[in-house]
Amino acid sequence: MSLIYRRRAYQPKYTQVISDYLGEIVPFAKRVDKLYLVIPMVFLKTIEWSIYRWYETPIRRFYGIKGNELIYMITKRCNARCPKCGIWKQPESNDQHLHVSHFINCLKRLHYNLYQVTLTGGEPLLYKMDVMRIAEEARKLNVPMVIVSNGTFLDKQFLERYNELGHILVISVDSVEKDKWNEFRGRKDFDIVMPKIILARHVLGDKLRIQSVYAKETASEIPKVIEFCRKHGIKHNIQLHQDFHGDWHDPDGATMVDNDTPCAARKNICIYPNGDVVKCFDHRKIPLAEEPLGNIAKQDIIEILCSKRSTEISKIMKTCNLRCKNMSCNKSQNLLFK
Amino acid sequence: MLERLIDSALSQKQRFSFIIVVDDKSPLQLNYQSDKVQYLQMKKNSGPAAARNVGIKYALENDCDYYLFTDHDCILDKEWNKEMTSFLARTEFGAVGGMTYVWGNTLLDYYHGINGTLAGKWLLPEKKELWYMPSLNFGMKRHVTEEFPFDERFPTAAGEDVDVCLRLRSKYKIGFCPRAKLWHDFGYKNTINDFSRFVRLFMKYKSSSATVYEGHTVLMWDSSVSIYEGNMYESNL
Repeated sequence: MSLIYRRRAYQPKYTQVISDYLGEIVPFAKRVDKLYLVIPMVFLKTIEWSIYRWYETPIRRFYGIKGNELIYMITKRCNARCPKCGIWKQPESNDQHLHVSHFINCLKRLHYNLYQVTLTGGEPLLYKMDVMRIAEEARKLNVPMVIVSNGTFLDKQFLERYNELGHILVISVDSVEKDKWNEFRGRKDFDIVMPKIILARHVLGDKLRIQSVYAKETASEIPKVIEFCRKHGIKHNIQLHQDFHGDWHDPDGATMVDNDTPCAARKNICIYPNGDVVKCFDHRKIPLAEEPLGNIAKQDIIEILCSKRSTEISKIMKTCNLRCKNMSCNKSQNLLFK
Repeated sequence: MLERLIDSALSQKQRFSFIIVVDDKSPLQLNYQSDKVQYLQMKKNSGPAAARNVGIKYALENDCDYYLFTDHDCILDKEWNKEMTSFLARTEFGAVGGMTYVWGNTLLDYYHGINGTLAGKWLLPEKKELWYMPSLNFGMKRHVTEEFPFDERFPTAAGEDVDVCLRLRSKYKIGFCPRAKLWHDFGYKNTINDFSRFVRLFMKYKSSSATVYEGHTVLMWDSSVSIYEGNMYESNL
């Protein structure tokens, strides 16, 4: 494995190479204060740029820096019918569902580099046995884990073991009022889930977190959720509404938090229920990233991540100024829940 | 070159508690003796990361508060120690980088000067801290040094400083002190004759960056910009 690439399908277009070149050269040329030196300096800069781009270097491989988050959408299936989300409308078929062993292999390959593995969905706890296997493995590999769940399938036995493993559980709560809750979930499960949240707080302590989506529909509910969390000593995070193919709307006056920050989601390695690998679950908004980078059931994850296209997509993501930059991937983990 | 560096270190307005020279089993003989300099000899050539860790160990045993690093081909400004240590003392930054100028006068030196080849990199977009600072003009507080030693798996003088910066930034920030000045001598005598050295230098950096890339998997290179004279003072600092 190396950064030596061959020409293959999905190779970046020449226009992207030119764009990359100009992106380096133009700002540099502006630094040259003597007009007669512009050409020789641009020549030298072109040499440097070419070396960084084309020089095929043997590399020494070693690992040990925890800079990545591995996010596994374990399933698109969900018991809830939240109108904010449309993922549950397209559940994967049984033959599209990745066997958990493939993901565990992927976790083992990457664990030196992971500061966190996150399980999301759909509802991850529909696959409670698989989730627990991953949680056990993550513990052995010393990788902190986070599950984002709707809380329906929590039980005492699961919570106690999960607590022993030291991982974090995030439950999505957009209202603490029964009628609104049931409307937001598309299911009348307030009386089922609420006691489980209290149980989870009791068992997990501060390893339980609550996350709410700030949308036009929830704007008046969020303060009540915050108050609920404060009362029960639960850390809380608000995420600005994103398009998950649902029916909710942006809150009035919502704007991008930061237009200039390079997208930190480049650090992410995202896995679909069928094992497809992408850098970001919103990858279809980037033409070069539309197709998955590979599939962990068929290829080694390191090989997938070291592909030329993966690198090019990372470069593009630094300037893709999309709304999804408001999501939690762009925030430092210790700043998320307060 | 080393003698020139030691002279500049000994003539600091604010004296160093210790000056430690680590000889990484160099084939060159140092004909310079001073009782104010501690010479440590590596048993075998192990690379700058291992050599610096030996120096760090010695300084930790002698209970130093601040750990400043430079290279043999540098010349320190007389205020360098004062500026670096006072910056660390008065700020919350865990580490600091100073302003690096080029010493020579060839076109290649001019290029490195405006390119900021061995200067630090601002972390974008705010430019309030550094993404990276080369270890030739670098300092850390004691607890940061203890927590983040150099990775000795880097065998040459390339990449080990990027790696340590990326790791320590997971917990601390690296500040920039433009008044802590030093000059780096690339050793170019002539633009034409030394052109191949210029190319080889970047080939070495590319090789090390590929290693750092794999180690950290995610490249954060492009969220930064090199420091040069034109952007060393930021209005929002």
